[in-house]
Amino acid sequence: MNVLEVEGLRKVYPAFTLQDVSFAVPEGAIVGFIGRNGAGKSTTLKSILGLVHPDGGTVRWHGENVKNCEKTFKENIGVVLGGVDFYPKKKLRAITEVTKKFYPNWDESKYQHYCQLFSLDREKRVDQLSSGMKVKYLIALALSHNARLLILDEPTSGLDPVSRDELTELFQSIVADGTRSILFSTHITSDLEKCASHITFIKDGAILHTGTLESFRAAFADKGHTLEDIIVSVERRKLDDGAII
Amino acid sequence: MTALLSKQLRLNCHPMTLVFLLAGVFFLIPNYPYTVAFFYVTLGLFFMFMNSREQRDADFVAVLPVRKRDGVKAACVFTALIEIMSLVIAVPFAFLSARINPKGTNLAGLDANVALFAVAFILFAVFNIMFLPSFYRTGYKVGVSFLKASLCVALVVICDVLLPHVPGFAWLDGTDKASCLRQLPILAVCAAVYAIATLLAYKLSAKRYEKVDL
Repeated sequence: MNVLEVEGLRKVYPAFTLQDVSFAVPEGAIVGFIGRNGAGKSTTLKSILGLVHPDGGTVRWHGENVKNCEKTFKENIGVVLGGVDFYPKKKLRAITEVTKKFYPNWDESKYQHYCQLFSLDREKRVDQLSSGMKVKYLIALALSHNARLLILDEPTSGLDPVSRDELTELFQSIVADGTRSILFSTHITSDLEKCASHITFIKDGAILHTGTLESFRAAFADKGHTLEDIIVSVERRKLDDGAII
Repeated sequence: MTALLSKQLRLNCHPMTLVFLLAGVFFLIPNYPYTVAFFYVTLGLFFMFMNSREQRDADFVAVLPVRKRDGVKAACVFTALIEIMSLVIAVPFAFLSARINPKGTNLAGLDANVALFAVAFILFAVFNIMFLPSFYRTGYKVGVSFLKASLCVALVVICDVLLPHVPGFAWLDGTDKASCLRQLPILAVCAAVYAIATLLAYKLSAKRYEKVDL
């Protein structure tokens, strides 16, 4: 069963167009959303979340158009937008106190558990946390309100290899019971080799492939063995030496 | 709405927004244009909106389980609460001012009387209708919006300074019981104008912000 279905999503900017983007996030899956910088990953995720207004297409949460169930949809998701630091001068305690009032499913004991698990000091300010700890804090918030789907935009960008490895391991444990799913956009494909069950590949605003990791590898078998080889092979443009000079 | 108002107070509100609630203290200064006191309240609100922008509040609210217009509504309601609280807190200072200066000889504008509170309602109405929809056109242009609003607020302050000197309007400057009673209907009309302008400012702000891509 799909928790999230995106169908025919379109967004037109003067210099970029998101063209009929369609894919699904099955229950219990980690869907890697890959593509080079500027391919349309963040625009797609922002369109799903309603942060930008798509010019067409639909987003469905458990089969229902999110326009008709926006509150339920947002109560059941956790979002980590890459490079976004909310309230950098506020303590985690203050942000949590405010955030939990928005979620009827908030579970304080779970929050305490995840803070302990991730070694989060609630008296620290956001700008005192490392990039990895910020992601972990946002994940702790999402899991404490029992989010069924985590939407993560470049959560591992700028992290050291050890922190990235820790996070990919964490993602696997989050979906292990099959009730939660993760949609995870990244251009660091080595992270997905470790944890993704499905891959959606976007190039120049259009989906090139969407399906299981195995089907993705099979579809691009002639391009390389690893995800990185495949993407580089598909995306690489030959430089025009004359134009550079 | 309660959760959003709580967020507004705990995460968005700048300390100076609350300090300027004590604007009524200005009423104790002799020969001073007392409407300037309420300009400081709008300055405190400007700090709050600037603080929200710098702390990336819009991105935080966008992923909460609320509609986009609810975030705008909470900011507008909080703005109105700050303005009304500043007026309520100013009332005892108006009585104190009348006691300190029983003859009501403020040469720089209206004395701290009922008419002054009526002008304050107009000042806040002008600020809300100019600032809020201008800010929510983009969600980030807080400085330009405040400049536009402040120029209009300055006109209200000028009216406050000139009004007692306009022939036929001297009764607006009175602090005695009879003058204050005569000024009461003006206060009621100006409060109604404030309520309508603030509601309109919210509707326009929400409509404009719906179109903004974050």
